[in-house]
Amino acid sequence: MLGLLKREDLFACIQCGKCTGSCPEAGKTSLNIRVMVRKVLFGDWEDKEVPWFCSSCGACTIRCPRDIKPSEVVVGLRAQMVEEGEIPSSLYRALENTLVQKNPWGRSRNKRDAWTAEVGFEIPFIGEDTLETLLFTCCVQAYDPRCMVIPRNIAKVLHAAQVPFGILGRKEVCCGNEIRRVGEFGLFKQLMEENEANFERYQVSRIIALSPHCMNAFKNEYEGGDKKAVHYTQLLWELIQEGRLIFKGSYDKRVVYHDPCFLGKQNGIFDEPREVLKAIPGLQLMEFSRSRENSLCCEGGGGRMFLDVEMGERNGHKRVKEALALGAQVIATACPFCLLNLEDAAAVLDADIEVRDITEVLMEVL
Amino acid sequence: MSYSLIIAETRKGEFQEGNFDPLYLSDIVGLPSYILLPEGEYGILRGSCDKVIVAPLKEGEFLNPLNIIRLLERTFQAFGEPSAILLPHCSFGIDVAPYVAGRLGWPIITDISGFCRGEEGEIFIKTLYSEKINGHFRLKEGMRFVGTVRKGVFPKVAEVVKETLFEEAPSIEKDPRRDFIEYIEEEIEDVDITKADLLVSVGRGVKEKGNIPLFEELAALLGGVLSCSRPVADRAWLPKARQVGTSGKTVRPKVYFALGISGAFQHIAGMKDSDVIIAVNKDPSAPIFQYAHYGVVEDMHRLAQKMIENLRDQK
Amino acid sequence: MEVVVLAKWVPTTQEEELKIIDEGRSVDLEEVPFRMNEWDTYAIEEAVRIVKEHGGVGWVISMGSEDADTALRRGIAMGLERGVLLETEEDLIDPFQRAFIFKNLLQKKGIKFDLLLTGGQAEDDEFASTGGVLAGLLEVPYASMVIGIEEISGGEITLLRELEGGLMERVKMALPAVVSIQTGINEPRYVSVTGVLSAAKKERDFLSAADFMEGAKGLLQLIRVEIPPPKEGAEIIGGDLDGKVSGILNILKEKGVYK
Repeated sequence: MLGLLKREDLFACIQCGKCTGSCPEAGKTSLNIRVMVRKVLFGDWEDKEVPWFCSSCGACTIRCPRDIKPSEVVVGLRAQMVEEGEIPSSLYRALENTLVQKNPWGRSRNKRDAWTAEVGFEIPFIGEDTLETLLFTCCVQAYDPRCMVIPRNIAKVLHAAQVPFGILGRKEVCCGNEIRRVGEFGLFKQLMEENEANFERYQVSRIIALSPHCMNAFKNEYEGGDKKAVHYTQLLWELIQEGRLIFKGSYDKRVVYHDPCFLGKQNGIFDEPREVLKAIPGLQLMEFSRSRENSLCCEGGGGRMFLDVEMGERNGHKRVKEALALGAQVIATACPFCLLNLEDAAAVLDADIEVRDITEVLMEVL
Repeated sequence: MSYSLIIAETRKGEFQEGNFDPLYLSDIVGLPSYILLPEGEYGILRGSCDKVIVAPLKEGEFLNPLNIIRLLERTFQAFGEPSAILLPHCSFGIDVAPYVAGRLGWPIITDISGFCRGEEGEIFIKTLYSEKINGHFRLKEGMRFVGTVRKGVFPKVAEVVKETLFEEAPSIEKDPRRDFIEYIEEEIEDVDITKADLLVSVGRGVKEKGNIPLFEELAALLGGVLSCSRPVADRAWLPKARQVGTSGKTVRPKVYFALGISGAFQHIAGMKDSDVIIAVNKDPSAPIFQYAHYGVVEDMHRLAQKMIENLRDQK
Repeated sequence: MEVVVLAKWVPTTQEEELKIIDEGRSVDLEEVPFRMNEWDTYAIEEAVRIVKEHGGVGWVISMGSEDADTALRRGIAMGLERGVLLETEEDLIDPFQRAFIFKNLLQKKGIKFDLLLTGGQAEDDEFASTGGVLAGLLEVPYASMVIGIEEISGGEITLLRELEGGLMERVKMALPAVVSIQTGINEPRYVSVTGVLSAAKKERDFLSAADFMEGAKGLLQLIRVEIPPPKEGAEIIGGDLDGKVSGILNILKEKGVYK
């Protein structure tokens, strides 16, 4: 009834409120996750709007002393609405698009490898020469011109460090991380099966995920329980430690790092991105007051990239303001959704600050 | 003698411009043209066709496929059977043409946008797959068909000046199974997009309702009016009255500034006569670039943000 | 109320760069994903609502390759009860012929309808004709581009047709009738992948279109397809974001709409 959860599981809840206390949407939207858990437990949750406010940051689930997984309660409510067919129209499009074109934006599946055009060298298909390292592009990096730089940069780094790798190109389909969080379990399963079949067919031994969302899906949600997935920041730190990346320049800027929820609090990868940044000559790393486990969600997860909700100030704005107050010149992050949301916020606020993906910072000195 | 019968559309008594395309196509094919119309005054047609046949029907009775088929049966008796029945491709043409084809057992080609004659005989061109393909169609059993003709694609054959005869169509008994009740106007709101000099128009690329205010601000800063394409109005992100296109308003501003509009024909038809069209789309192969005078390949949100910044600076 | 919907399974070509094959006779759709014709989702939603309000049985009927079964499954998942697929590997593009085959199916199988709905047009060939031709062949009333169904009672249907320029007309018709549906008439419900999968367990009729060809000859022949010659394209304003913005502002100033 509730996706992965059963109602009985919720009896353990002691209504302590740690979930609501840690929720980045509490107070600014009408989402009160503690109340939601209570009402769902008693079977009297009816609202069809509030479950869409959750941005799937996972803070409630991590903090819950009784291991209730409140964020999965949200997914369960969404799954019911999906099965009933009653979902917001913009999500309808995103899901239909993913079904047809294998990406939520509805761009042509046949153009999924278009980003490779400008890298300056041939990127082989994973099936060639029994390459075992897969660079998994996923949707936003494959189609959004702003985010296309991420796969291009990683490809260039791998090329320069002489790491053999391949891509799935047009055979790749959306990782499904957001699809699952929107509650479309059937579609998620379909996507997972298609990707896993390819991982197996091409004997992939390592997957480099560009987005923390993809990495999370591969590691924690694919049935194969794919432990071979790493985030690109982990790979970069490896290469730096092995001395395989030679820095040529210096990046003399004050950089504050924003922890993406799916990389940090949900998967415990806090240090590698920081180590990569610290290794860059000249770079002065700064910290937000809310960082690591307490990092403030950019609100791009849980389908919120496809769905705008009524709310108070966007968290992205809060983030940009704090970065300015810290005196940072650059906000660096390692997730395409964070990148887009923070950059949007900086543009709306007319803030004199750059928002960069870690690979973009790195490319400045390679 | 063979001829083409053009069933013309009037709305609220007004002869519609789209009727000229079937007329010009008829001239290009080389058939005498008879125009069938509801009650009214059609002096403007003098010289442009061979016969004006006025049916003893009110507009609401005439714009009805069930009455048209009865009228055709009587008209054929009086004037002979035509080789082609042509209509404008519009809400009237598409209502009547298929029904007539079904009743008569004739082939139908809709939205005709080209014609040529060669070794293969007469070829009618119609676009397929959202304008990406031209299909060349041939009538298997010779020239006898029903067609609707796209607006604004056939030029007037310059030298044609005809002696126009005005005739009356025989009366018919109306089919009781379909009745026109009334016209309903879209509610008029404060802005009239048809009167603006500058339209800032957003399409599917706007992605979500929450992005609309950004473009409202852009339009306001430029002193223009915000309009949209059909998908935006369909999702009620902007009122229907702001919709440009065949099913919305036809506009002719001095500048039509289209952002994130791919350029579906339905939309193009509503704005192609603008003095200047500037299109912004991140897909360089978007069809709208074929109609625009100026094109910018860019993400509409990024561009709008930047424009707003610049405009604010100037103020 | 017996409500029949004709639904089409179409290639999603809007984003594709299409290629011509077969010596100019056909378009290469090998790599193009298919989906339910968008207009037809609105027609199905409308049918589901009508059946819910007035009782009766809703049908979804499609013609095409076996893949078009997905159109039936989606229709059933949305709430229709019966599905019929007229299987054919032939690319039947002539709407007259298609309508004739549907007519034969309805008559030979004794499928009686009070209301037959189609989408306003199909995304692939955009003929917008099958429903109208079928109405003509069956000699039942027809209305196209319907944007609202206001009332169904006493063997009559009152509906709104969408005209140009924000104008609509209210029309009353006797049933049985054929109606073509415009997008925007309703908000179609979402169909989950699980929903479509479980609809696969519902009984559907798979018939061969070849058995319903009697008298259904093609009157129209598609002899050639071509990529339209590029029109006089737009003058592209390039450069960086600043350059693009100032380029646009200059044009607006030149035309006197922005001072």
